[in-house]
Amino acid sequence: MSKERMNIPDYNTLFTEERYVQQRENKKQFEAPCSDQEKAEALAYSQSAEYMEKNFERKAVVINPHKACQPLGSVMAALGFEKTLPFVHGSQGCNSYFRSHLSRHFKEPTPAVSSSMTEDAAVFGGMSNMIDGLENAVALYKPEMVAVCTTCMAEVIGDDLSAFIGNARQKGAIAEDFPVTFANTPSFIGSHITGYDSMIKSILSQLFDRSGQTAAPGAGEEGEKLNVLLGFEPYTGNFAEIRKILNAFDTKYTILGDHSGNYDSPANGEYEYYYGGTKLADVPKAANALGSLVLQKYTLKKTQEYIKGTWKQQVSALSTPLGVKATDKLLEAISELTGLPVPASLKEERGRVVDAYADSHPYLHGKRVALAGDPDLLLGLIGFCLEVGMEPVHILCSNGDVEFDGKKWKEEVEALLATSPYGSEATVYVGKDLWHLRSLLLNDPVDLAIGSSHVKFAAKDAGVPLVRVGFPIFDRHHMHRNPIIGYQGALNLLTLIVNIVLDQLDNNESGFGDLVR
Amino acid sequence: MEPIRKEEIDDQACGSLAPKSKPCPRPKPGEAAGGCSFDGAQITLLPIMDAAHLVHGPVACAGNSWESRGSLSSGPSLSQYGFATDLSNNDIIFGGEKKLKDSIDYIAGRFAPPAIFVYATCVTALIGEDMDAVCKEASDRLGIPVVPVNSPGFVGSKNLGNRLAGDALLQYVIGTGEPELEASMGVNLIGEYNIAGEMWDIEKLMNQAGITLLSRITGDARYKEITWAHRAKANMVVCSRALLGLAKQMESKYGIPYFEGSFYGAKETTYSLRQMAYLLNDREMERRVDRLTEREENRLSHDLRPYRKILKGKKAVLYTGGVKSWSVISALKELGIQVVGVGTNKSSDEDVQRIADRVSDDTEYIPEGGASRIIKTVRERKADIMIAGGRNMYVAMKEQIPFVDINQERHKAYAGYEGLLRLAKELVDSIANPIWKLASSPAPWDKEDSYDR
Ligand code: SF4
Repeated sequence: MSKERMNIPDYNTLFTEERYVQQRENKKQFEAPCSDQEKAEALAYSQSAEYMEKNFERKAVVINPHKACQPLGSVMAALGFEKTLPFVHGSQGCNSYFRSHLSRHFKEPTPAVSSSMTEDAAVFGGMSNMIDGLENAVALYKPEMVAVCTTCMAEVIGDDLSAFIGNARQKGAIAEDFPVTFANTPSFIGSHITGYDSMIKSILSQLFDRSGQTAAPGAGEEGEKLNVLLGFEPYTGNFAEIRKILNAFDTKYTILGDHSGNYDSPANGEYEYYYGGTKLADVPKAANALGSLVLQKYTLKKTQEYIKGTWKQQVSALSTPLGVKATDKLLEAISELTGLPVPASLKEERGRVVDAYADSHPYLHGKRVALAGDPDLLLGLIGFCLEVGMEPVHILCSNGDVEFDGKKWKEEVEALLATSPYGSEATVYVGKDLWHLRSLLLNDPVDLAIGSSHVKFAAKDAGVPLVRVGFPIFDRHHMHRNPIIGYQGALNLLTLIVNIVLDQLDNNESGFGDLVR
Repeated sequence: MEPIRKEEIDDQACGSLAPKSKPCPRPKPGEAAGGCSFDGAQITLLPIMDAAHLVHGPVACAGNSWESRGSLSSGPSLSQYGFATDLSNNDIIFGGEKKLKDSIDYIAGRFAPPAIFVYATCVTALIGEDMDAVCKEASDRLGIPVVPVNSPGFVGSKNLGNRLAGDALLQYVIGTGEPELEASMGVNLIGEYNIAGEMWDIEKLMNQAGITLLSRITGDARYKEITWAHRAKANMVVCSRALLGLAKQMESKYGIPYFEGSFYGAKETTYSLRQMAYLLNDREMERRVDRLTEREENRLSHDLRPYRKILKGKKAVLYTGGVKSWSVISALKELGIQVVGVGTNKSSDEDVQRIADRVSDDTEYIPEGGASRIIKTVRERKADIMIAGGRNMYVAMKEQIPFVDINQERHKAYAGYEGLLRLAKELVDSIANPIWKLASSPAPWDKEDSYDR
């Protein structure tokens, strides 16, 4: 057997072989008959300032969307609770998309079911699908709670979740005392973060109401605990990091919505449907905690209101704590809520990260950066860029509708940018897509782009290296296992970014073969 | 949009016109079902690479589906752009037809595609958008075909969506053009989507045998070549029963004979090439095919020897959740692998019959999804490997079961003679990887908890 035979290439290399290249050439006869020159002209035009202007005038069509829909966020929220089965009320396809989306990001299975509505349901409503679905799902997957969210279809036909679930109980499809929470999450409003928020709020409020308890913040044993909410969190490592920080403080806490167990389960020979998650019994107890710490304040809007309003708790709300300064704020917030001093171990860790910043700064200083992502993540990333001397230039927020309150967010971003001379070049875009980003990258070039895997194509067109941060990251492995929050996270982010810059230098190196950096 | 008639779905389902055939199975509420009809329609049409594909609905349907196919292009990439009308609350109330029209205009003006496919989604079907009318008007005004695809998610499964996409091709595309070349000997491939470039291997074989590939429906296709598909001398339906209806209707409408075949495994490949030459009714071509297939088979069996040694007697559970089941079984059998469990989830009665012809009597049929059901079969039958789609992969990893991805996300082409060799290598690599031993042996401190597979 020849060597060439033994080495089986995948499609990236296989089809560069001469015979395939020839085949492709032959095929050109079928293609739209335009010359290479015309193609080059069209490409050049799409890169011009003139086209950029036209592109930004575009109202009708979205080209390469940069957000996911509400129910996807709800599925993630549901998976943050012990033995909870996400149930998507709508036609079957959406659920299958959510499962593959989440699975491809985390490289883990995603248990979630659908009520599989069909055209009968479109005419008569989805009640019988809901009732049968709940009965089947409980029998098949044996959850301890079901968390129902809607898709746009159920919303358009106006299904009444609360009534349907009530009827399912009456008919005996599910037991009277079996918890079923629900949230309305149409995908023509909001996005994955809105859906996450709705479901968390629904779970907290419904489990609390069922318990018949009254809220008494700071009362009893629970009154020494802190509630922590991370939000739509694509990094399982961030859960571990926040635990590490809270343990260092030696404070007790309950994480409300912890899907890291589900998305970081061991390969020990037996797959279970449910791993980890917040204990259901801990939810009503959390109403007595001394306060709540929220790490994605724009994501968790409704939930915060609920905790403040109904649980009457003190809430400390931050955006994703990326970088040293944001982590400082996080530690201050914990100190304030718990009355405990910042532990020495964290102080020391901070010093080490500052040292690392200093080591790398020559390579980061003045680097122009494009950022794309969710609102809280972006605030964190901007802060990080400013403190290492990188200059955010294009800032593209994946959310842009009324629900998310883009205006307030934009004001906060602009205020943050104004705190540093490195922020002066930046423009903030809300509700734009990745085709807009492409124009931006081509017309006003940057050194680096930071964003999800979807940004890859725009970045490639513009010849800009992409640092993958956020959701979804499909085309890289295990990024989500390394935390990006806290001091450790700042170090990880720094390592990731500076090494991409150094890679870039090596790729362009002129032959000196520099080993000293 | 024109409502989808229920009778039509029920008795023509899965592309079969035969009255007795059972309809595409309905998903059961409360299960983790597969993709919707919208998804299925897109899978069929997205490989038309130079066309624009516009999703009319909230951004979710498009946002969740773009950039997720392993269907490769040898040139144009417009089909990889995620176009969506992005309907929001107001559009749901007041209608999105204006937005649709504007979107079509923008795409036509900026990207100048040879055609635009417009997909209905659950929402646009429910609020009663007249997509057909908007498309027709735009088509007349712009002078390019704007094809409505009426396959909203709720009408049913992915398979049904494949079929509805076939209907759209038949109604709006096929027969609207003429080939420039004198292509009297052409064959169409129907239901081959060029996953991981498989089409290119098939095309190479056809080239070598001197068989003209007239239209690709739709792997790595150009819009234009599909317009003249009605000029073919024969159709091959490449293991996709969902598009069988298309072949049948082309037979009755244009008198084009068809056959169902596959390119998984040497035997099936040889059979398919022979069948083409036979239907083209060309003696000389038949002789050429014989020479080619004999040569390829010999070379393959030589190259496969080391792999066969390792794979012989190994047991596999195959769960592709669809029509691919029977054809892949042949390929595995040629490698000496016994299929001990096979998914029949979306297979029609005829598919199940074909599966039965290819497996031994005690093979277990896995009628419906759910990871635990597949795993159970793997355990009970002591299978060495699981061959399935991406969504089941991560479950296999938890259970420490060697795994090969057979569905649309994969990176390797398994069709044809060389494809079989690649599949063999992939299977051996997966089974032989040292991580399975590491995973299944206990850590040194808890030896007695040893886990025996
Ligand atoms: S089921 Fe309907 S709403 Fe969901 S992805 Fe399919 S077409 Fe879109």
